[in-house]
Amino acid sequence: MAIDEKLIREAVASVLRDLNVEKGESKPVTAHKSNVPLSINFKDSGDAQKGTKSDEVVIGIGPAFGTAQTATIIDLPHDKVIKEVIAGIEEEGCSYRIIRVFQTSDASFIAHNAAKLSGSGIGVGIQSKGTTVIHQKDLPPLANLELFPQAPLLDYEAFRNIGKNAAKYAKGQTPEPIPVKNDQMARPRFQAIAALLHIKETKLCDINKKAQEVAIN
Amino acid sequence: MGIIAGIDIGNATTETAIADIKGNDVSILSSGISMTTGVKGTSENVHGLFSSLTEALKSANIDIKDLSEIRINEAAPVIGDVAMETITETIITESTMIGHNPETPGGLGTGTGYTTLISDINNINDDKEYVVVIPKEVGFEEAAKIINDNSDRLKIQGAIVQSDDGVLINNRINKKIPIVDEVKLIDKVPIGMYSAIEVADVGEVIQVLSNPYGIATLFSLDSEETKHVVPIARALIGNRSAVVVKTPEGDVKERSIPAGFVQFIGDKKTAKVDIDRGAKEIMDTMEKVGKLQDVKGESGTNAGGMFEKVRVVMSQLTKAQPKDIHVQDLLAVDTLTPMAVKGGLANEFSKESAVGVAVMVQADKLQLEQIANDLSNKLNVDVIVGGVEADMAIRGALTTPGTNKPIAILDMGAGSTDASIMTPDGKITSIHLAGAGNMVSMLIQAELGLDDFETAELIKKFPLCKVESMFHVRHEDGTVEFFDKPLNPDTFARVCIITDDGLVPLEDFNSLEPIRQVRRQCKEKVFVTNAVRALTRVSPTNNVRDIQFVVMVGGSALDFEIPQLVTDALSKYSVVSGRGNIRGTEGPRNAVATGLVLSVVEGSV
Repeated sequence: MAIDEKLIREAVASVLRDLNVEKGESKPVTAHKSNVPLSINFKDSGDAQKGTKSDEVVIGIGPAFGTAQTATIIDLPHDKVIKEVIAGIEEEGCSYRIIRVFQTSDASFIAHNAAKLSGSGIGVGIQSKGTTVIHQKDLPPLANLELFPQAPLLDYEAFRNIGKNAAKYAKGQTPEPIPVKNDQMARPRFQAIAALLHIKETKLCDINKKAQEVAIN
Repeated sequence: MGIIAGIDIGNATTETAIADIKGNDVSILSSGISMTTGVKGTSENVHGLFSSLTEALKSANIDIKDLSEIRINEAAPVIGDVAMETITETIITESTMIGHNPETPGGLGTGTGYTTLISDINNINDDKEYVVVIPKEVGFEEAAKIINDNSDRLKIQGAIVQSDDGVLINNRINKKIPIVDEVKLIDKVPIGMYSAIEVADVGEVIQVLSNPYGIATLFSLDSEETKHVVPIARALIGNRSAVVVKTPEGDVKERSIPAGFVQFIGDKKTAKVDIDRGAKEIMDTMEKVGKLQDVKGESGTNAGGMFEKVRVVMSQLTKAQPKDIHVQDLLAVDTLTPMAVKGGLANEFSKESAVGVAVMVQADKLQLEQIANDLSNKLNVDVIVGGVEADMAIRGALTTPGTNKPIAILDMGAGSTDASIMTPDGKITSIHLAGAGNMVSMLIQAELGLDDFETAELIKKFPLCKVESMFHVRHEDGTVEFFDKPLNPDTFARVCIITDDGLVPLEDFNSLEPIRQVRRQCKEKVFVTNAVRALTRVSPTNNVRDIQFVVMVGGSALDFEIPQLVTDALSKYSVVSGRGNIRGTEGPRNAVATGLVLSVVEGSV
């Protein structure tokens, strides 16, 4: 079959039609719900202190988590996400604390900040779009214990397991690394929206603002 | 005479010694070592042989043209292989027991009652005792709420949960009950049956359900019925949590798998023994038949298949007919291997008995002449095959400082354990026994339930540590070592093998103690047993006590703990034994290669 210009144009048009962006009509690739009502209130309550309890895991959340943004990239409401992580920590018999990081919106740095404030030295960092890292205070910021880079593949079960594993690290036990899912299509499908959500979150960064203790109720 | 290279092809390594010989004066210039390519005694060995030789030549700064002769030892025509057969299995019928030992069950104590689904609980209105069954569709908050709402109305005595929610539910209910979680196949739990559930405190084990009389008390069993629950109680020993359900025909059986018999053909008589009788009976039967001529497995059974496989592999390697391959020695070892329990609801594993077998096969003759010809053509140097292996090994071993005739050597390699003895008048007796380093790795792999042989090899070769922080590890003996730079994050909170290339993390092990125990036991089972067996046979009086000096050589003598285990065991027979140090520099390596070049002067080849 000969490939001519017409054929290519048709193929491009059909791909664009699938992506719903034909004729400049800019429907989002996935309809992201930017404002979901949450059952819990993420309230900043003063500068975060360094913890002293050796059984605690500190959960670091991004500047927009639960406030400017309320759901992950696949519309998991932030209250349910945080509840799963907490449940995982609680099931292992550890305690938790939540802090909000303002100086960065990078998952690895959020997690490292949390780890440095954690009594056990273990922290979990969650970006508003869902990307999550488990970190340890003595590691370089860009290293990690476990990294879950593809936010579209993180479901509730994954968040529960993240909490569980973080608690196990805190206890000095040997967790089984959570199988990291990989989907070739996640990148093209979600890249644009991921970038958008990240930019939105980054706008809320404040280099001069210390991490805040977060009270949930 | 000129410069001569002695080369020893072993099961695992090919070792070279290069010596300059002037008259009766031998000065050894260098040694080389490389992995044996292919199985010992086959033409594939040439590659390994060549790289070992090159290494030795290079370190002595000698060109290959300057070599006047290469000597390859006449390797004993024996090759070893290993196999394993599981001989018991555990079967749970009618889902009568849950004993998977989840890490975080909830609550504490013992409870009994009729099993009922949590969704049906609102329809129940009587004063019977109940154990609620919670599938994963019901979240922990909802489940806790339902239990709390009904706890005044109904007698809820325990819970069986599909998700890992035990602690979460326990933290949310008012009246504490024992909760067993992570029961994967929850829909198979029989509903409406009387059941008992027990959870012990952290760091403790259950006391009631692991005791037959405890189960009898809870279920009001008579003496006859109590007999039947013994396997259930036994299967639950050591668990932190358990569930037992009383069903009409429910049972836990440990059944032995018929593995078939093996037949030992000796010079005195022939005897049969069932594999499932265990290692001791197999070994005792073998001793009874006198000098072993061959071993056969019952055809059509696992035992038959095992020996047939060994025969076929060996015949391919030696290019002989399978029927011409004779098993010359066998070592059977009892072991335990974790296997999934049949009929289990929660991926229960049970340690099943297995028998590991190493066999030593006698081939007609190895293809050493062929190797010699190949090498001679390639290098243009005279290649001579000669020198009985045991003879050469003793000559080499005698270069260990502090030794003298009479002397016995234990050559502990990868495929076989060899022993030879030299009396004061120079008479040499030797023997080759099945079972060595490879068998240890096989046993470690089986007992720890490892996926691959490589990890088992690493565990065998290197000590362990536990990484406790990014900057320190705790070693096997409890000492702590600190590091300036953070360790690799992969190793954090894990048990690691301290290899030459750094720490290798192991998954699924919380503590290093069980691994260490298995490692030492496997080494003892093979090497201590074989050391005693081998020395008994070569001793002129068939008694180990009449041997004074034993030198350990071969690759497994390099191990960090095998020589100590053997020395310790042999000291009970008042035998002086220790790791050899060939030429005072080589450690336990290079004995045969050194013996080969030394024999040139002594003219005994």
